[in-house]
Amino acid sequence: MSDLVAAAESMKKTERFTRANWVAELASRAGLLIAILAVIAYGSIANPAFFSTGNFVNVLTSMSIVGIVVVGMTFVLVVGGLADLSVPATIACGAILSLGLQPMIGPVPAFVVAIALAGVIGMLNGALVGYAGVNPIIATLGVGTVGLGIVQAAVGGVIVYGTNPASAELVKGRILGIPTVVIIFAVIALIGHFILSRSYWGRWTTATGGNYSAAQASAVPVRAVKAGAFVITGIAAGISGGLLGLTLQSARPLVGTGYEFSAITAVVVGGVSIMGGFGSVPRAIAGLIFVQLLTNVMVLEGVRTPVQGFVLGILIAGAVGMDAALRKRGGG
Amino acid sequence: MRYLALALQYRVGIILGLTLLISALVVPGFLGLTTLNLGLDRASTIGIIAIGLTVLLIAGQIDLSVGSVFALSGVVSIILQPQLGILPAAVVGILAGMLAGAVNGLLVVGLKVNSLVLTLATMLIFRSIAHWITDSQPVSGIDIMFSLKVSQTYLEIFSIRSALFLAAIVLLHVWLTRTIPGRNVFAVGSNAVAAKESGIASGRIIFLSFMFAGGMAGVAGVLQSLVTNTGSPVFGSELTVMVIAAVVVGGTRLEGGRGSALGTLGGVLTIGALTVAMEFQSVPAYIQQVVSGCILILLVVLDRTVHIRPGTGREPARAVQPITQGGGSA
Repeated sequence: MSDLVAAAESMKKTERFTRANWVAELASRAGLLIAILAVIAYGSIANPAFFSTGNFVNVLTSMSIVGIVVVGMTFVLVVGGLADLSVPATIACGAILSLGLQPMIGPVPAFVVAIALAGVIGMLNGALVGYAGVNPIIATLGVGTVGLGIVQAAVGGVIVYGTNPASAELVKGRILGIPTVVIIFAVIALIGHFILSRSYWGRWTTATGGNYSAAQASAVPVRAVKAGAFVITGIAAGISGGLLGLTLQSARPLVGTGYEFSAITAVVVGGVSIMGGFGSVPRAIAGLIFVQLLTNVMVLEGVRTPVQGFVLGILIAGAVGMDAALRKRGGG
Repeated sequence: MRYLALALQYRVGIILGLTLLISALVVPGFLGLTTLNLGLDRASTIGIIAIGLTVLLIAGQIDLSVGSVFALSGVVSIILQPQLGILPAAVVGILAGMLAGAVNGLLVVGLKVNSLVLTLATMLIFRSIAHWITDSQPVSGIDIMFSLKVSQTYLEIFSIRSALFLAAIVLLHVWLTRTIPGRNVFAVGSNAVAAKESGIASGRIIFLSFMFAGGMAGVAGVLQSLVTNTGSPVFGSELTVMVIAAVVVGGTRLEGGRGSALGTLGGVLTIGALTVAMEFQSVPAYIQQVVSGCILILLVVLDRTVHIRPGTGREPARAVQPITQGGGSA
């Protein structure tokens, strides 16, 4: 296990000094790929149930829900916003509202309203972090606590059930054999990747994260860009929560607990710098695939849940520590 | 403007006074010895953790894992009772908290990682360990009578916990304001590089602050477990926000370099009074969360906006910055 991480990290080591060297660039990109292949190889040998279509579809489906959040979280990390800890609240908001409002306004408007409200939570985060300059972790922790409290108060702290089976069928259904959720995730990931790597907004995001003052001096609307990253995460988490609610057809207020860590782990393990200014959506998704496959192997091998949490924590700490060490040596 | 500055300086007192006034008006029978005793006891759990966090925040760091350390120490102190006896197990529990803090400190100082992110990871790790060693089940202690003894009230006001908290706050106040190590903590928090250039061992101070914060979270966790005679891996998950709120209400800055023990006392008492008042009115737990979250956000925003806006020269701390760069930051 730790060998894999070490392997992935040692591969990553090359990237920041010699970005111009395409061989090193290739090696850095291949590092995570090799780690993923190693997990797949180990899983296939260790457990016959691992290498089966059914299992892969399961992994893909569960990955997609987190993956949508990962796309947003990538923006937050790249812009230098550390992390968004209000994700459990926005997911709960998306899940509870998209189910709870169904009887009143129908499934589609309910879904839209849920996402819009999650976006509002994201805007609140963005205003606090981008405009008021509050520490992102404290701001999102506070907003998350308040948001979750309000959502719980709105439904009286109970579980909300779905009333529209048709919408559930749509989300759980498959198009050409691929689950709908996976397709939605793929579309969102593509859009996210396009925005981050090909648009003005993406370049602004990277610039703001890389050097805030320099970006500001270059007339980048740094405050709006920083706030925007949190709005994107809020909307992404809202969509993710809505899909989660529709899939489960029930939503507890604590439905989103732990998703923030899964998302952060994936992004950080994917090699996106926690200090901002460097990273891409495909990298984050590669990290996500690695973490999800690893979790899947652990589950199949009967590793207990606490141990899995332990491994995830070590992964975050290791990836962040490695990033910091590289930055220092690279003189960046 | 002068009144505003004065009001800001004593805002902890003002906030506490307002809280008590409103509580007294809304909640019948709020002003009484029973409430004081209950409020103090309730506040002391937050307070003991807040003491550790105050030092850490002044040193310019933060620890989000205190809630997990709280649970871990409690679990350790209960689970070892059959083998070691109650008191030695409690000591081991506190040591476990210090060890957890040492791990945080070592990683932050050694790897030069942002403490927010690192303690986010260790928060997950320590919580997992607590789940791991208990099989995710609450464990109970061997002697229920002992927990009654611990939760006993003396002089109608103090429980052991609240007396310990108040004593510790006074000690912290003296340590921070009257001793050299205490002053060094402020120096490190305002400008770690400048402090290092002046011959202060910044790394060691940060490491020890983390250990202290872990140890205090351990003390609070062990006391909680002794009082309830239970160690549970889910204890303390909602504490982090409350403790940070209490410390920030007390005027300690998240950016480091400023804060006081008495401010923290005020913050803790405010949160304690609010909790008790809301419990008396049987406000559901999630509304209480909303309130403590709102207070946290409001105060942090206030702290940011009030200090940056007046004057053109920004705040004094900014003026020191050239030294940081001249001092050869990497």
